Amino acid sequence: MLKIESLSKTFDKGKSYALKDVSFDLKVGDVCAIVGESGSGKTTLVRLIAGLERPEHGVIYLDGNEIASMDKFVQPEKRKIGLVFQEYALFPHLTIFDNILYGVSKLKNKKERVQEMLDLVGLSEMGKRYPHQLSGGQQQRVALARALAPKPSLLILDEPFSNLDSMLRTQLRNEVFDIIKKTGVTVLFVTHDTQDALSVADEILILQNGRVVQKDVAENLYINPNTLYVASLFGNTVQINKNIQSAFHCPLNEECCHAIRNEKIKVNPEDDGSDCEYITKAKVLKKIALGDSIQLLLKLDSGEQITVLTQDKNIADTITIGFNSKDILEFNE
Amino acid sequence: MKQAGSNNKTFSLKSRLKRLKRDSNRWSVFTLAIVLFLALPIIFIGVELFSGPGETWSHIVKYLLPDYIWNSLYLVFFCSIIVLLLGVSSAWFVSRFDFPFRKQMEWLLILPLAIPSYIVGYAYAGMFDYGGSLELMLRAMNMDFVRIDIMNRAGLAFVLSISLFPYVYVSARAFFLNQANNLLEASKMLGVGERKTFFKLMLPLARPAIVAGLVLVLMEVLNDYGAAKYYGVNTFTTGIFRSWFSLEEPETAVYLSALLVVIIFALILFEKWQVRKIKFTTSKASSTQIQRRNPKKSLKALIFSIVFLPILLGFILPVGQLIYWATLTASTVFDMNFILISLQSFGIAITSALITVFFALLLIYFSKWSSLRFIKNIARIGVLGYAIPGAVIAIGIMIPTLALDKWLIEVLANFGIDSGLIINGTLIALFYAYAVRFLAVAYNPIDSTTLKIDDSIPDSSKVLGVGNFKTFFKIEFPLIKTGVFSAVILVFIDVMKELPLTLILKPYHIETLAVKAYEYASDEMVMEASIPSLFIIFTAMIPVIFLNKLLIKK
Repeated sequence: MLKIESLSKTFDKGKSYALKDVSFDLKVGDVCAIVGESGSGKTTLVRLIAGLERPEHGVIYLDGNEIASMDKFVQPEKRKIGLVFQEYALFPHLTIFDNILYGVSKLKNKKERVQEMLDLVGLSEMGKRYPHQLSGGQQQRVALARALAPKPSLLILDEPFSNLDSMLRTQLRNEVFDIIKKTGVTVLFVTHDTQDALSVADEILILQNGRVVQKDVAENLYINPNTLYVASLFGNTVQINKNIQSAFHCPLNEECCHAIRNEKIKVNPEDDGSDCEYITKAKVLKKIALGDSIQLLLKLDSGEQITVLTQDKNIADTITIGFNSKDILEFNE
Repeated sequence: MKQAGSNNKTFSLKSRLKRLKRDSNRWSVFTLAIVLFLALPIIFIGVELFSGPGETWSHIVKYLLPDYIWNSLYLVFFCSIIVLLLGVSSAWFVSRFDFPFRKQMEWLLILPLAIPSYIVGYAYAGMFDYGGSLELMLRAMNMDFVRIDIMNRAGLAFVLSISLFPYVYVSARAFFLNQANNLLEASKMLGVGERKTFFKLMLPLARPAIVAGLVLVLMEVLNDYGAAKYYGVNTFTTGIFRSWFSLEEPETAVYLSALLVVIIFALILFEKWQVRKIKFTTSKASSTQIQRRNPKKSLKALIFSIVFLPILLGFILPVGQLIYWATLTASTVFDMNFILISLQSFGIAITSALITVFFALLLIYFSKWSSLRFIKNIARIGVLGYAIPGAVIAIGIMIPTLALDKWLIEVLANFGIDSGLIINGTLIALFYAYAVRFLAVAYNPIDSTTLKIDDSIPDSSKVLGVGNFKTFFKIEFPLIKTGVFSAVILVFIDVMKELPLTLILKPYHIETLAVKAYEYASDEMVMEASIPSLFIIFTAMIPVIFLNKLLIKK
């Protein structure tokens, strides 16, 4: 339903790219998360899709129609895309009811629709209040109701939870996506938090420096990351550089970059009888208790420092660590 | 981020042109049209330069131009010194120290802005004249009267400074109050004393703000006609008037105007250069309340006198003099005709304020709705009229509109209609000129209120399927109402006070209070000028106080 072809946008009069050559597509009913650090171009990408920015290259199709290209630009008000802003952007001088009514004022049964949306987000009695009289979480749900009221074919959420503290965040995230799933709308969900993405998205698109690094289901991103960056987004990783290769006596292809997830490095593998293809001795520099496990800061013979996790509470000053070749991640970087 | 190569396809001329075509909309065109319309007077001055100077030009260059230049430089130099001393010191004391009546003085210091410079000039001339208030007062105290002649350059510099210093005061105070608090606290924590903090830290940091205020003062100094004329000092503005009215040589007026504009642009470049040099000072406004020092009693008295002096000189004395005159002349001046003039003045001011604010809104929103980035910068050119002296704008409008009128009369005569001067004979030219001159006065408060509204607010309206106009009326206008309202009031005050432009462009049967005061003063009836002057001052004062309250409340 949404198709994007080699989309580009620059800043500073073309001096640097906000987005470069971005292509991907979404199917009806998909929930896709866009993950990236701040400055990776996430917000620019959704603003281009919503029509709040104009592309400098590329084409955007929505439901088979070209909505932005070099010759064509459909105004945002004609696109029928719902957008929930990071700072909610509720109209401060209108009541909650009027905020939701705003986008559906041309409908016949508009009042029923507004009440339906209020019921959906669990704010049935709040219609007469003003935005500043609501809590952050309630404002969030009003913003969602307002965006959903005109029945958009695509709903975009731009960092919707970043203003909330972590306890509230998990709760609200689940609430919001329960509501969204009820409507069956296609969703693009921007976040810098991998946890957010993993818990709600069918598919995740990773942006780095304005480029799409990978778009895949969560499991594949973990098992088969395209780059070291993607690998590190889904768990701590250690890059296997030359020094580490020599410490473990495991020569690897020099043209590729290799890494291993910290949890795949086994501590004292001989203790539980597991077999490791590559092992080395390491000196324990520091032990940090993390509740159910212990993090060890280790120094290898080659001088390299790495951290590993273990459940074992009785750790000697010098230990053995090892890993298997099937767990090595290989990237062409 | 990766560098985008210049040979990249995205930035080839062809794809740029394609995008230009896609992104140009009617709003881009409308914005350009408005900017062009507002810039026309200056463009005409430029075009007229090519038709050569008038007959007296060589005479003026030889005998008068050195005088104009020298006097203008003299005024610029001495006014700068006086307004900096008065403005910065009072701003520093009211924002850093606690002393009796500090809160009242904070807004009293703004009041001199309510009195046009030429009226301050009339009042001081009256005080120092033979048989003036000063002489009467000294006689009453059995003291000898030594007459100080202030009807000269030095006197003019004093009068202009004392009525214009609040521009520096306002911008310096805003900096000291909003920007400087965390830096002040840091300086205190490092154990640095008050005096060193001021000279080593605050003064250099406040320089862009102070220079911005100073440049406004100097633009007003170069714009002044009434005071310079009364004090007999030849400046560019009096020169423009002389060539226009006495010598009847528009070409010469145009040449003088062009020279004056060059000086003004030099001033603007100076400001830009000053501000760019210390751009790093723009830090976020601090949220903590400023802690004022509570000095010893003797010091309090000293600070009180320092802060009170400009209020006394710039407001109390001149207004006192005017009130005294008013009691003497009220019976002769105050009649039906005077009420009529007041109503005319009021009507002209409110109409032109509404027109000007309308143009400012068009310019701000059309350039927003245009999706071309450079249009937003071009929109700012339309605001430059505030820098151009009223007399110059008037000449720049008079010349082309007279030609247009001539053409219209001929065309209409073909249809058997005797129209007379359509643009110059009516208020159209005057309203146009006020809009050009005061657009910035309307533009800036509205623009800064729109900046306080996050882009996501209008954006979400558009995403919800609502177009530009409806978004403006339903969402944006309710949120910027206060800004629009203060813009109307500010332009209203400026039009009430305006003299040079009104003198040149007003239809002959129309009078304003400012013109009436000027006419009385020029006809050796300066006492009679007091009543229209006081009317201007009081109408200007009410909104000044009101706006200040509004700003404090926020």
